[in-house]
Amino acid sequence: MNAEPAKPEVLVIDDENQIRRLLRFTLEDAGYAVCEAGTGHDGLVAAAHRQPDAIILDLGLPDQPGVEVLKKLREWSPLPVLILSVFGQEGSKVAALDAGADDYLTKPFGGAELLARLRALLRRVKPAETVSSIRFGAIEVDLVKRQVTKEAQPVKLTAREYDLLRLLATHRDKVLTHRHILSELWGPRMEDQTHYLRVFMMRLRRKLEDEPDSPKYLQTESGIGYRLVSETP
Amino acid sequence: MSSPATLFLHHIRCSFPLAALAAPVGSGSIAGHRRFEWRARSRTPLREIGEVLGLIAAVTAVGWFTPLDYHALGQIYLLTVIVLCLRVGRWPALIAAVVSGLAWNFVFMPPRLSFSVLDLDDGLLLGTYFAVALIAGQLTARIRAQERFERQREARATALFHLTRALTGARTLDEAVAASLRQADELFGGQTAVLLSGDEGLRPHPASSFSLDTRELAVAEWAGRNRHEAGRFTRVSPEAAALHLPLHRAGTTLGVLALRLPEQALLSTPEQRELFEAFATQIALLIEREKLRTAWEREKLLAESDRLHRTLLDCVSHELKTPLSVLRSAAENLRPGQPGGPSQLAGEILTATSRLDRVVANLLNQTRLESGAVKPQPDWCDARDLVGAARRALGDALAAHPVKIEIPADMPLFMADAPLMEQVITNLLHNAAHHTPAGTPLLVTAGVDAATDRVFLTVADRGPGLAPGLRETLFQKFQRGHPTRSTGLGLGLSIVRGLMLAQGGDVEVGDHPGPGASFTVYLPHARHGSVPHE
Repeated sequence: MNAEPAKPEVLVIDDENQIRRLLRFTLEDAGYAVCEAGTGHDGLVAAAHRQPDAIILDLGLPDQPGVEVLKKLREWSPLPVLILSVFGQEGSKVAALDAGADDYLTKPFGGAELLARLRALLRRVKPAETVSSIRFGAIEVDLVKRQVTKEAQPVKLTAREYDLLRLLATHRDKVLTHRHILSELWGPRMEDQTHYLRVFMMRLRRKLEDEPDSPKYLQTESGIGYRLVSETP
Repeated sequence: MSSPATLFLHHIRCSFPLAALAAPVGSGSIAGHRRFEWRARSRTPLREIGEVLGLIAAVTAVGWFTPLDYHALGQIYLLTVIVLCLRVGRWPALIAAVVSGLAWNFVFMPPRLSFSVLDLDDGLLLGTYFAVALIAGQLTARIRAQERFERQREARATALFHLTRALTGARTLDEAVAASLRQADELFGGQTAVLLSGDEGLRPHPASSFSLDTRELAVAEWAGRNRHEAGRFTRVSPEAAALHLPLHRAGTTLGVLALRLPEQALLSTPEQRELFEAFATQIALLIEREKLRTAWEREKLLAESDRLHRTLLDCVSHELKTPLSVLRSAAENLRPGQPGGPSQLAGEILTATSRLDRVVANLLNQTRLESGAVKPQPDWCDARDLVGAARRALGDALAAHPVKIEIPADMPLFMADAPLMEQVITNLLHNAAHHTPAGTPLLVTAGVDAATDRVFLTVADRGPGLAPGLRETLFQKFQRGHPTRSTGLGLGLSIVRGLMLAQGGDVEVGDHPGPGASFTVYLPHARHGSVPHE
């Protein structure tokens, strides 16, 4: 009876019944087990009891702000958290990402988008995944040799450009905030030097993208950060 | 001012004040006219009497040493009286007539150095002399009074003309009040204040040249409440420093006009009072006109907001109901046993939802802009990034239009709120795609406008261009490109403008000739610190 591997379980914390139903439908269809909570309090209890593999958390909950739920959760759990927000709340998205959320989706979102985000989150926590190279499209990043090739041709990157690409690639399909990237690459004191990032990203796109003006992989999340999109539909 | 003597002096003093006003217009004063003389001139009645007595004494002395007949001397005395009448007031003229007659009788008429008269002829002569001297004196005085009256009338007309001219030049009530107060200051040589009636009683107008203390304010309030003059020169609170005239029209008190004159000044001739009252009437008219205009504009605004509400209802119901009905019928057709391919229906549902999403986003944006909830957080932005993000956000809505991007390699970064700019570019691109035939290209350019040191980003299309007369209202909300045939809320450009202004930028519609329309957004060109090469 235990031949079938355990399905990854996702906890959905959202006060809207219809959204929960639809998420359950989408997720179960994609092979996940789903548990639900309608309030922040119930969500935290469920997270402690069931130890799910990932949490989908709505920022607008009736009993407490989603960011508060996230902060309480982060006190004891590193579980991957995907937050749901509505249009125009860039500030609260950044606050949630800074508070430890792993990614976000803006309502209304599509099922494919949701599943791609979830896959990226779960991939990161799999301990078995020790990779020596990452591939997206025609581009391959060799993490051991610190080499980048595009269509098998070597691409010459400076050390800092390589660091930026590696950071995005190891967190591929996940959003990285400006603050996070700047702190990783230039140190915590440079967290607000956004123009460094803009300039380096421009250079990286020119070297890697077919059309640097409408990038396919190195995508901008306005007001939030960058995301390397490796799964192209 | 009760004894006959002071009354007499007072009267004499006040017969001059307008004389100076009669000077030709444009003789040096700022507004082209002179102001009233409030203090009596240096020619006091005593001096005039002195002049009268001196001249008569001189004539008497000359007559004493000349061998002239007393008949001839009588004629000379008469001439002297007439000359004096032309120079002095009514009372000194009377004194001249009496004194000269007495002097003639006493000194020259036989018997000399006696008031007695020899015969009937001389008595008659003396009587006639008195009569002629008195009549001549009074006639001259009357002519002078007439002349003075004419001059006053002219002066008053001139003053009112200048007031009217100053008022026509004023564009707002504040300017007009300021202009009329300056005119009054100049004309009356004092300080004036206008107090406007409001919900919380009288409120001094900022153009007033003096501020009222509590006591003056109480007098002003009494004048306004009772619609009756009060303060100095009136029967009510004459101890006050200023004269307060109510400004009222059609039974409504609009305010109070107060005039404060120097200590020693007087304002008692009817002419001055009348002129000041004319000023008050003009200012009252002015305030009434302004009130009517404000009321009319409020009315217009209400009508306009009513129109907006109706448009809003029409638009919103249309824009929301259309995708909703698509969703509903598509969902019904998805139920088992219904014809129609699921994939095609899914496409319809997706289109309907993205349309709904845009409508809701625009309504939210507009509401946020109007409630002041948009708080830009500027950071360094890359034009390519923003255009790329906007294109991604639009997705299939741009499918029918090739987009060409021309951004120079040396395009600098600029300070803006990235999500807001993404919204701006999304709206401009969507607008361009929405109003142009499928297949026509869209062009996005960016750069630095060296002349104004601003960065710009232009979205241009090759569609039919803007309908004439549309430019003026283009950026107003609920203003749709083609009211009859185009759909949409008419919020896109209004939001673009609101978002750009909120970020210290601007948006302009291009006026290039030829087909197509173009919109350019501008932002200040900020320079960032150097970026390390590594």
